[in-house]
Amino acid sequence: MTAQNKQERLLDVKGLTVEIDGRRGPAVVVDGIDLYVGKGETLGVVGESGCGKSLTMLSLMRLLPNKIKVTKGTAEFNGRDLQTMSNRELRKVRGGDIGFVFQDPMTSLNPVMKVGDQLCEPLIYHRKMSKADARKRAVELLRLVGIPGPEERLDAYPHELSGGMRQRVMIAIGLACDPKLLIADEPTTALDVTIQAQIVDLVKDLRNKLGMSVVWITHDLALIAGLADRVVVLYAGTVVEDAPVDDLYANPSHPYTRGLLASIPTLSDAPAARLSSIGGTPPEPGRRPAGCPFAPRCPLAMDICLREVPKLEPISSEGRHRAACFAVNTALKAA
Amino acid sequence: MTLVQTNPIITDDEPPVSLWRDAWHRLKRNKLAIFGLCVIVVLAFAAVFGPYLTPFDFLSQDLDARNQAPSLLHLFGTDDLGRDVFSRVVYGTRTAFLVAVVVTAIALAIGTTLGAIAGFFGDPYDRVIMWLTDMTMSVPNLLLVVVINASLKNPIAKWMEAQYMATLNPFYRETIWIDFFLVFGSMALISWPPYARLVRAQVLSIRSRPYITAAMALGLPNRIIMMRYVVPNALGPLIVSVSAGLGTAMVLESAFSFLGVGVNPPTPSWGNMISDGLRVWQHYPHLLAAPAFVLGLASVAFSFLGDGLNDALNPRGSK
Repeated sequence: MTAQNKQERLLDVKGLTVEIDGRRGPAVVVDGIDLYVGKGETLGVVGESGCGKSLTMLSLMRLLPNKIKVTKGTAEFNGRDLQTMSNRELRKVRGGDIGFVFQDPMTSLNPVMKVGDQLCEPLIYHRKMSKADARKRAVELLRLVGIPGPEERLDAYPHELSGGMRQRVMIAIGLACDPKLLIADEPTTALDVTIQAQIVDLVKDLRNKLGMSVVWITHDLALIAGLADRVVVLYAGTVVEDAPVDDLYANPSHPYTRGLLASIPTLSDAPAARLSSIGGTPPEPGRRPAGCPFAPRCPLAMDICLREVPKLEPISSEGRHRAACFAVNTALKAA
Repeated sequence: MTLVQTNPIITDDEPPVSLWRDAWHRLKRNKLAIFGLCVIVVLAFAAVFGPYLTPFDFLSQDLDARNQAPSLLHLFGTDDLGRDVFSRVVYGTRTAFLVAVVVTAIALAIGTTLGAIAGFFGDPYDRVIMWLTDMTMSVPNLLLVVVINASLKNPIAKWMEAQYMATLNPFYRETIWIDFFLVFGSMALISWPPYARLVRAQVLSIRSRPYITAAMALGLPNRIIMMRYVVPNALGPLIVSVSAGLGTAMVLESAFSFLGVGVNPPTPSWGNMISDGLRVWQHYPHLLAAPAFVLGLASVAFSFLGDGLNDALNPRGSK
């Protein structure tokens, strides 16, 4: 992927900041995130629960619930800012250019509507298809995502399908209008491992077939290894590391990324060995430390880490591997 | 497709039926609800076809057969003008159903629209609509009906008379429509707030569910999300409330007619029949008993059905 070039960026997020209006004043949950997705690229967004992965993606599409607001930053999609465009234009982008697949297939489908009708809805609305054409396309889509007997499945209600089937239906809905970008928010978290593998294969397959870009949000580093071209690691609402996927695994730089990778168990570990973990917990929104948000848990923390916030700086791979860490960057400069 | 094909799995804990068929299965097991439903079906049949089937006209008087006790010829006896009480009760059923259905439909339309807007779009619509709802609820309903009767009845009667003179259309001579118009209007005006509150509460809870966010992420317009995602999911409690509301509207119509501000004689309404019967009940108890019994039966039937629907449409409540 040569997504360095500005023209090839499909999605370009700059300084995106999201705040929650709490009782004790606003709390920053996403703190000036910069990230981009190239055309045809698959971006993995990794981080532990509550680090702002989902909120970032929801805020891109202005789907945030009440009391959570984007306060700063831009999110350009194909050169147009999603944050300032009119609702009417935004509706065309949602579902039309950007498909969304949600985390929980059990609750993200309308329980009182047949899956076929839910699948036809965006086609009728965005593509102005007739009901009959939409149904034909819906059958194709269900076949595409590997649902056997798609004609009969169209008239099923969500509760008549298993979790894996529902997730496939969700993906089919996300893909309905041939989006340029598919945002998948932990689409396999609710599923068991075999179904997970099928869904990952399916998305890879579809991406290659349809040439779309994918943003895959997950907390599972192992899963993302076989799927993404590039990985962004989030911690407490900031990007701490951004690297091509092979680079990230071969040469993790930020102490947080290293901690994450170290805590993946491998088959070669001694059976009795303790699983390594990162001590402490992420800061609560609204109680962020003054300096680097990871500093209180960081084995390499220095004085400066407690005072200043590190910037995302290139460290290798022709500038495509970037990390936000004073320890890493000073070590690099000294070398 | 190089995918592993999975079997078309249907989860075995839930039988492959729709929400509504599931609810129907649960309703069928509730005897009281089925009793209520049967009574309602019979009464509805009487309301629609009854007046064509009764042996006597509800208005024709037979002064030789006044105040007769119930007999095979006159099932509920006759009143002080020799009119067949059974035929009048049957026609009263039509009055009751007409008022109940029309009033509930209007109240439901107003209440659902306002409640859905308030819940879905939030402030400032929410605030204004809830003010309106509270204001409406604070008006004593009997007083409102009396005021409407006193202020609007004459102008409308005059207008109808003028229309008749101008067009000679016999429709305008039917003064009964004035009664119905006033009853429909005034009752609908006071009946919508509970629906608005219920729908608002439902919409507020549904709006935060993931499938609504998912529908918004599909770029569907608010109108479609409202009509196809929010309202159908809010329908369960609404149906229960409509069932109860129909019963309440019938009782309310009878109450107004009893007090003389509803449907006026000679058009039979259970309420004005009870009112007439009350004056002579020591001598002719059947004149009071017949309409009162049917009114009670209808009210109980709707309550039972409402209760049954509540259990049937709320799977969490059932064992």
